[in-house]
Amino acid sequence: MTEDTNTTTDASHDPADEREVRTDGGDEEVSADGSGIVPPDDETPTWSERKTRTQGLSRVTYEYFERARREDQDLRQQSSYVERDVLAFPAWPHEMIRNLALTSFFVGLIVMLAALVPPHLPNPADSGTTPAVILPDWYLYWSFGLLKLGPLNPELSLLGGQVLLADRTYGVLANVVVVGAIAIVPFINKGSARRPVEQPFWAAVGVGGVMFAFTIAVLAVKNIVTIYEPLLFDLTFLSPLVVATITYAILRSMREGYMFDLNRRYYRLRPPK
Amino acid sequence: MSLERKDEYDHDAWMQKRDLTAVESIYLTVLIYLDKRLRIVDYLELLEDLYYKVNMQMPKSHTEQYNLDNKFWYWYPLYALGSFSTIAYVVAAISGALLGFYYAPAAAAANGEPSVAYNSILFIMGDLNLGFFLRSLHRWSAQIMVAAVFLHMLRVYFTGAYKEPRELNWILGIVLISLTMVFGYTGYLLPWSQLSFWAGQIGVEMSLSVPLVGEYVAQLLFGGYTLTQATLQRMYILHVFFLPFIVTLLIAVHIGIVWMQGIAEPH
Repeated sequence: MTEDTNTTTDASHDPADEREVRTDGGDEEVSADGSGIVPPDDETPTWSERKTRTQGLSRVTYEYFERARREDQDLRQQSSYVERDVLAFPAWPHEMIRNLALTSFFVGLIVMLAALVPPHLPNPADSGTTPAVILPDWYLYWSFGLLKLGPLNPELSLLGGQVLLADRTYGVLANVVVVGAIAIVPFINKGSARRPVEQPFWAAVGVGGVMFAFTIAVLAVKNIVTIYEPLLFDLTFLSPLVVATITYAILRSMREGYMFDLNRRYYRLRPPK
Repeated sequence: MSLERKDEYDHDAWMQKRDLTAVESIYLTVLIYLDKRLRIVDYLELLEDLYYKVNMQMPKSHTEQYNLDNKFWYWYPLYALGSFSTIAYVVAAISGALLGFYYAPAAAAANGEPSVAYNSILFIMGDLNLGFFLRSLHRWSAQIMVAAVFLHMLRVYFTGAYKEPRELNWILGIVLISLTMVFGYTGYLLPWSQLSFWAGQIGVEMSLSVPLVGEYVAQLLFGGYTLTQATLQRMYILHVFFLPFIVTLLIAVHIGIVWMQGIAEPH
């Protein structure tokens, strides 16, 4: 680039040619410090112009960027939104003071809990005596409960009534299945619906999932729950279904009225043309 | 920006000519000193670019356009759960670093006698000034971090915030919630108490039950098929070295993506 500008400055006897090639758009001298930096303006070449000679993937990348930038620009020009310099209210001081207040309050809450409810330290480790209650922290109860799904492990007649997977392998697999199921939710549930009333089915799935996390946690401590064990096992799977069904019914019946309100507010603000 | 040569670039004389306050002249002196050596000016364009990207013109958000602020901000506490888990993570990191001065992951015998690790917890809780509170703070901030992460996930689920274009961040969030639980689990084993030991026993059996690679997993994570000194050592290094780096990095990426994409508002 530096070479280009130097050449055109030398060939100043042909002003038309010079005007065509020079990209800094002014009568000022091009900086002689060798940096080759010219001030940006409307004449600045676009990325695709600068990169016409590149090949392959980088060429395609720049062509796509050019399209994407053009698309943004078009959308912005078409939109009737009011455009401003900054989104939302200023980071300083408004947002920062609110964040500081919330953060101090929250840290204070942790400090207060730590001071009022100190943790318990059990006896030292002893591989000789198995304690009556073996538990992980509360947030792993669901995972611990999934290890106790032995009764659900199918006995295959093909294998002569033997199970395909050991019970403990089955339990670990159940963990993978649960996490995997949560992970693929965005790829199954598409569309623009956001609120639970707009999508009663998925809200019901969510509520059922929360209920299942709770019941499977209770199953994890079945040796200290005074419910008949087969009944507890059935309740673990039935109660999430029941709760999910009730949620679905309630949201479905709410939906019409709710959407009516939402649409009324929408059309009051933006009357149909 | 004029490209014409104005003077002989006598910066000192230029500074003398200007009527600068003390702060301005100190700032300029430092800036010129650094710029002569590092050519900061070459990177100014990057900074300008960044400035315009940060202050980019944005269209009105959905809530602003339809005047739904009263409906949206009513739910603000639910939208702060992600921040709360980050804050709790910071508190846990600080208190954990302080605990690390006094804790020793050593001599993990499992015969009912207090090991070195257990004794260092006893020392922290019994003899160390503010040590009891410090351990309490570490434990509670960890509990609250996990709780906030769970509730954060529920909020994202029930407001449909995981939908396009935020699927990748949802996946990243699942990785993060899993790593958070691994963080909690490794920390749970460190005191080498009865509960730690038997929770570790369950962990070893879970890894051994993985088909084909179970034995390798058990050796890699727990240092053997039974719980020994090696197990405690590995849990310690996972808890204070690997997980902090990985989780901090992933949290930064997670928040960075939220910053780039904006908060998903319910319609």
